[in-house]
Amino acid sequence: MSLREKRSETALTETVPGGAWLIGLLGWFVPGAGHVAQGRWGRGLLIGGAVMAMFIIGLAFGGHLFPIGDSQGVSGWSPLLQVPPMIANLGAGLLYLVCWVTNTGFVEQAKLETFEYGNTFLLVAGLLNYLGMLDAFDIAVGRKP
Amino acid sequence: MKHLLVMILFAVLVATVFGVVARNSVRERLLYGLKIFAEFIGIGLALAWLLYFFPF
Repeated sequence: MSLREKRSETALTETVPGGAWLIGLLGWFVPGAGHVAQGRWGRGLLIGGAVMAMFIIGLAFGGHLFPIGDSQGVSGWSPLLQVPPMIANLGAGLLYLVCWVTNTGFVEQAKLETFEYGNTFLLVAGLLNYLGMLDAFDIAVGRKP
Repeated sequence: MKHLLVMILFAVLVATVFGVVARNSVRERLLYGLKIFAEFIGIGLALAWLLYFFPF
């Protein structure tokens, strides 16, 4: 049996417990909570702390978040360019949603010299949380210790 | 100086998450996190010096 056949057979026979999806969702919603819910306090606090710190520092630097479904009067295909960074921002879960509901951090503050650093911190915070979410999911499935 | 401090802060936070998710034992995580941090800083400084010689 070739390696590719073995891999496809493993993928077909592996069953994902329902709780793993909830753990993944929890890990996305509250950074680090997916690990904490599985008793990995150290990892959860490190991931959650790093993601939250990046997000808050990003806002403090004057970075701006990309909104969900608001093209800000831009027509044509241009609004599509807002989608990838919005997906990255959305990775911060509750942090992004709180900002969205309270309309915090969506205004570009170009007068601050650190605003581009802020944008980067906000984008990377979301992307790192996606990584943490996948790690929590892998632990719940049993792929990682 | 401010740019360097921001880069160091960014490298610390990203290396923390990478170190936590990428390896299995505590020792491996620590070493991997330090390696990622050193790569961020080293490559950042190297690129900064390279770009210094470009007039644009």
